[in-house]
Amino acid sequence: MSLLRALVTAGPSARVVATRVAAPRTSALLACRLISTSPCRHAVDPHAKRSEPHDYLPELIEPRSPGIKTAMYTAADEPGTDFDPYKDGPSAIDKAVHLFFFTEIIRGMWIVMEQFFRPPYTIMYPFEKGPLSPRFRGEHALRRYPSGEERCIACKLCEAICPAQAITIESEARLDGSRRTTRYDIDMTKCIYCGFCQEACPVDAIVETQNQEFSTETREELMYNKEKLLSNGDAAEAEIAANLQADHVYR
Amino acid sequence: MFPFSARRSSWFTRLKLPAPDTALAVHRRQLTTSVAEGGTQDAASYCSDLVRKRDYESFLISHFWPRELREHFIALRAFYVELASVQEAVSNITIGKMRMQFWRDALKGIADGRPPRHPIAAALARASQAANLPTYHLKRIIDARDAELDTPTHMTLDSLTSHAESTSSTFLYLQLSLLSLSASTALSHAASHLGVAQGITTLLRALPYHASQGRMVIPAEITARHGVSQEEVFRRGGQAKGIDDAVFDFATAANVNLETCTQILRSEGRVPGRAKAAFLNAVPTRLYLKRLEAANFDAFDPTLQVRGWQLPWRVWSSYYRGQF
Repeated sequence: MSLLRALVTAGPSARVVATRVAAPRTSALLACRLISTSPCRHAVDPHAKRSEPHDYLPELIEPRSPGIKTAMYTAADEPGTDFDPYKDGPSAIDKAVHLFFFTEIIRGMWIVMEQFFRPPYTIMYPFEKGPLSPRFRGEHALRRYPSGEERCIACKLCEAICPAQAITIESEARLDGSRRTTRYDIDMTKCIYCGFCQEACPVDAIVETQNQEFSTETREELMYNKEKLLSNGDAAEAEIAANLQADHVYR
Repeated sequence: MFPFSARRSSWFTRLKLPAPDTALAVHRRQLTTSVAEGGTQDAASYCSDLVRKRDYESFLISHFWPRELREHFIALRAFYVELASVQEAVSNITIGKMRMQFWRDALKGIADGRPPRHPIAAALARASQAANLPTYHLKRIIDARDAELDTPTHMTLDSLTSHAESTSSTFLYLQLSLLSLSASTALSHAASHLGVAQGITTLLRALPYHASQGRMVIPAEITARHGVSQEEVFRRGGQAKGIDDAVFDFATAANVNLETCTQILRSEGRVPGRAKAAFLNAVPTRLYLKRLEAANFDAFDPTLQVRGWQLPWRVWSSYYRGQF
């Protein structure tokens, strides 16, 4: 029963049925379509037992397509055409003139004129230098106490904390019982200037000075040894001491 | 010092003025040597320089210590200041912990008679030799500072109080044992309360600094009670809603502890002459709390950040009157 109903009510769409009724001479296209979209239903004997599995829907499903009515729409039926959003605004030409020609140029030139009368921002670098923060981390230095004694006690905390492993320390005990470094090397090509060595140092011996101009011609010159670091410290001691000051304890 | 004195003498000769007499010259030399020396050979002057720069109040108080103990007091204070400033000096906890470990090792070395070549450690070694300072007090300060690295802010007033007890109160116990007064329970009790008051006051005074670093030092318990939004405090400072009330509550806690301290001292009768030096620490605390009250509990008032002109006078007068 269900097969019959499908054939009668839904099987071929209404249009196909109409065409078949109107034109008895079936065109090749239509035949093709019928074969491709539906099984050959008119040849089915409802009472015959079918052995092959069904490959069509047993129940009626409403078609999702908008139906034949939409096919008859014209351009006049397009919704929303009765409203013109550009009616009260400036025309395209007005906007182009505004954007590209007059006001923009004038405004731009005004800024140029303002800058013309201002002092220049440019710094003549090697002769003039910009401001540096007291926390600026530049070239390294080893400090001494005012009495001339080296601060470094070879505790190796800086070597341990250095994330780039740029610091190498060797130490020995002296005759007076103090531990001193025999070797304190910093590979300035490895250093990432994070300042951890300065923070880890319990005696404020290793510091990063404000000097950022230590470029060299050869790579070897950037392997700093203890003498170089101590002489850096001697050169910049006043500056370092001024930058290290804190006002009062906060805790 | 030498360029200075050389220039000075040339000035005198050029202006045909009488040259400064020798007594004055010697005095000047004494004043300047503390700057010219330093290092482990002259640890005392290094420590006194550090304390003068970082903790001027204690530097003033140190002048009222018995002459033979002054150096040791300065050494202890330098140790305290050094530990307190570690957290501001480091950018991550690991480095701070390493520095704490350095100080733990230093204490061990001092106990074994081999202090590291650090001026403060050298001065501390001399102090602990001279006064037989109990190491566990020193160790307690280090442990408290170490714990502070992990939790810089406190949820409750109780936890903050116990932190202050293990830092500034412990420092006062050390002073009492330096004065060989640690046997007195009443004085120790008074010192514990004074330490708490001191700790809270230090935090209040540093509130603008900590707020600028994005830290809220007032315990969350108090700020929550007054509906203070931390973010607002960091952005707007003293104008934040409810911060005045929270500061008032926090300052009240300090004041209660300070009053308890003075009550105990008063009930004790006369404070023994030697103990005066230790309890002079109450003077800057009281002065700050008074100024905070005058500023209507606005801890962000810029006048509170400058050192009060009354401070040297107050310290001097309360030493001679024996009232704190």
